[in-house]
Amino acid sequence: MLKQSRRALLAVAAVLGVLLVAVSCGSSEVKLEATRASAQSCDRPTTATSDGWVEPIATDVEPVLPTTTVDFSGEEVTVTDASRILALDTYGTLATTVHALGLGDRLVGRDISTGVPELADLPVVTHNGHNLNAEAILELDPSFVLTDYSIGPLEVQLQLKDAGIPVVILDSTRNRAVIGEQIRSVAEVLGVPDEGERLVAQVETDIAEAQAEVDALREAAVSGEGARRMAFLYMRGSAGVFYWFGEGSGADDLIEALGGVDVASETGLRGSKPLNAEGLIKADPDVFLMMTDGLASVGGPEGLLEVPGVAETVAGSQGCVIDMADAEILSFGPQFPSTLRALGQAIYGVGGALDEAGGGQ
Amino acid sequence: MTDTVTPRPAPVPAPAQLPRDQGDRAQEDDRADPAAPVLHARSRALVLIAVLFVVLAVAAVVAAGVGQLRVPPSEVLESLLARLGIDIGDGPSHPRGDAALWNVRFPRVVMAMAVGAALGAAGAVLQAVFGNPLAEPSVIGVSGGAAVGACIVIVAGWGFAGEFTIALAAFVTGLIATLLVYWLSRSDGRTEIVTLVLMGIAVNAVTAAVVAYAVFLGDTQAREQIVFWQLGSFNGSRWEAVRIVVPLVVVALVGVTALARQFDLLALGERSARHLGVNVERLRLVAIVLVALLVAAGVAFAGIIAFVGLIVPHLIRMVIGPAHRYLLPASALGGALLLVVADMVARTAVDYADLPIGMLTALVGGPFFFWLLRRTRARAGGWG
Repeated sequence: MLKQSRRALLAVAAVLGVLLVAVSCGSSEVKLEATRASAQSCDRPTTATSDGWVEPIATDVEPVLPTTTVDFSGEEVTVTDASRILALDTYGTLATTVHALGLGDRLVGRDISTGVPELADLPVVTHNGHNLNAEAILELDPSFVLTDYSIGPLEVQLQLKDAGIPVVILDSTRNRAVIGEQIRSVAEVLGVPDEGERLVAQVETDIAEAQAEVDALREAAVSGEGARRMAFLYMRGSAGVFYWFGEGSGADDLIEALGGVDVASETGLRGSKPLNAEGLIKADPDVFLMMTDGLASVGGPEGLLEVPGVAETVAGSQGCVIDMADAEILSFGPQFPSTLRALGQAIYGVGGALDEAGGGQ
Repeated sequence: MTDTVTPRPAPVPAPAQLPRDQGDRAQEDDRADPAAPVLHARSRALVLIAVLFVVLAVAAVVAAGVGQLRVPPSEVLESLLARLGIDIGDGPSHPRGDAALWNVRFPRVVMAMAVGAALGAAGAVLQAVFGNPLAEPSVIGVSGGAAVGACIVIVAGWGFAGEFTIALAAFVTGLIATLLVYWLSRSDGRTEIVTLVLMGIAVNAVTAAVVAYAVFLGDTQAREQIVFWQLGSFNGSRWEAVRIVVPLVVVALVGVTALARQFDLLALGERSARHLGVNVERLRLVAIVLVALLVAAGVAFAGIIAFVGLIVPHLIRMVIGPAHRYLLPASALGGALLLVVADMVARTAVDYADLPIGMLTALVGGPFFFWLLRRTRARAGGWG
């Protein structure tokens, strides 16, 4: 009796086992059918390189001081001395703006995201990119500090205020629409409103030019296909720090400027969220946008394919990964025209500043 | 011709002698000879406390003189004395030196001392209350509960109490979690230690899940803030925070020291202590609330710093024995010393960087915990 039931059990187990193996083997044969004609020119990993950093709008700029402004935190701050400036934020935009206003030589330190070559030798006072070090800042003896809430901790900003250094908090929003406002607010604090207006006019003209170029490239490359579906991926290392950026993160604005469809925003994502493999496959972007260091940290384009969900998308299977320097890609600011132009050329595949990154697929 | 073998009378356990007003004598100290004069153990304790005090003072001055901004100890003293009205030298030579000392470094050193004292004493009290050498503040759910409050505020971006919102929320939820754990583990008016520990573990599991969810919900900044808070840091310590933490710690320390004698009695065992007039339940409740106060005050501003409450009381006990009248103040001093030194290392080990202090204490505390586990197991032959 026992032997019989045991044999039956074994038989059932064997059948189930065979079925399982068959199913799992079978499912790996199913390929993602390309339902869209992906005859895009972006078929290999590309690094977008801008053709240089924004130049100062003027030389020998003299700030008109003192200036009193109501900063983003609602406090009235008076700046009387602009000889030693610190402009710190997580994107590097503030330092770039100060440099573009012609006052870059007054900077005594920088954050890790500042990419302006002239400022590269300044001591870095943010450790791990997003944290202020009060003592390092005080060591540099700044006459005032320009910063925002993208960098912290708040207590350190307060400590600097306690120590008698004027700390001006600005808006940390970064997108195309606020570039002019952001430049103006920095110029106002620094007491160079005229140079600020000139810079805004210059940058707006440059953006319009770059936008026109990108639109033309897009027309030529896409021609009636519909907008490219793009996703901005943020990754650090291969240990699971994978995020995608959606509405309100700045990436959506960038993608819109590039004439693409932000698939992350399409799914209703706000801000940045951990990358969901199935969500990514469902969204099925044609193009991945990434930061250069982030891409390198997962092992380049080959390593990127290992990330769950990536290989099953059109972008992954075609190898369409566009990476750009961390200091530029989401910083907007006065550097935006060059950033936009470089990305447009990299995505739509025509033009001078084209570079191949790493191996192919 | 065989000798009459009379069994020797069973040795009277030493603790039974204690009720007769000998609380000062070291009890289970291996190295103390029970027959030694009472003064010996007591003077050793007092010497240790004095030594700890002096070393702490020196360490505080040295720590205040070390950092990313170079200010030699002589200038530190000059600056201190100048504030007191005594003008000796010129003070710090760096233009921002004085500001750095008084706005950045001194509050940080004082905060490290206060939090260290709080955590050291809290550990000692918990070990007394639980009668278990492995008891630690995080066991009863304070750290986990505090983390929940802090994370909720960080992610929601609330600011109803200005800069102190996070700390306040951490404090409140830490206290709530502790009381919840205590209440859940009571039945028939008694608290089972094992149940308490298991409840604490359950609460910690739930709070860890809430924190993970908060990390998911938050944006990049919130995430980093939460992570840094979970690892502990004295970066950004200000006098406003010190003004809140120090009085709380002092009050709680006075409270637990007043209970020292009762802790000694509790060490005899619950029944014996009850027979000696100790209201065990009330003692436990009061002790737990005081510990929650100490630890919440500590973690609210500095984040979670583990193992201080484990390492320090044990080291102290190895030197002067378990008499709580000396153990508690010595643990407080020892904890303060440990964190002042650890903080000094945290901010100077890597240029321009601030290592999370919880990581440092865990690096030291982890191996120590292992050693302690093995030693306790070998001695007691199990968890009994």
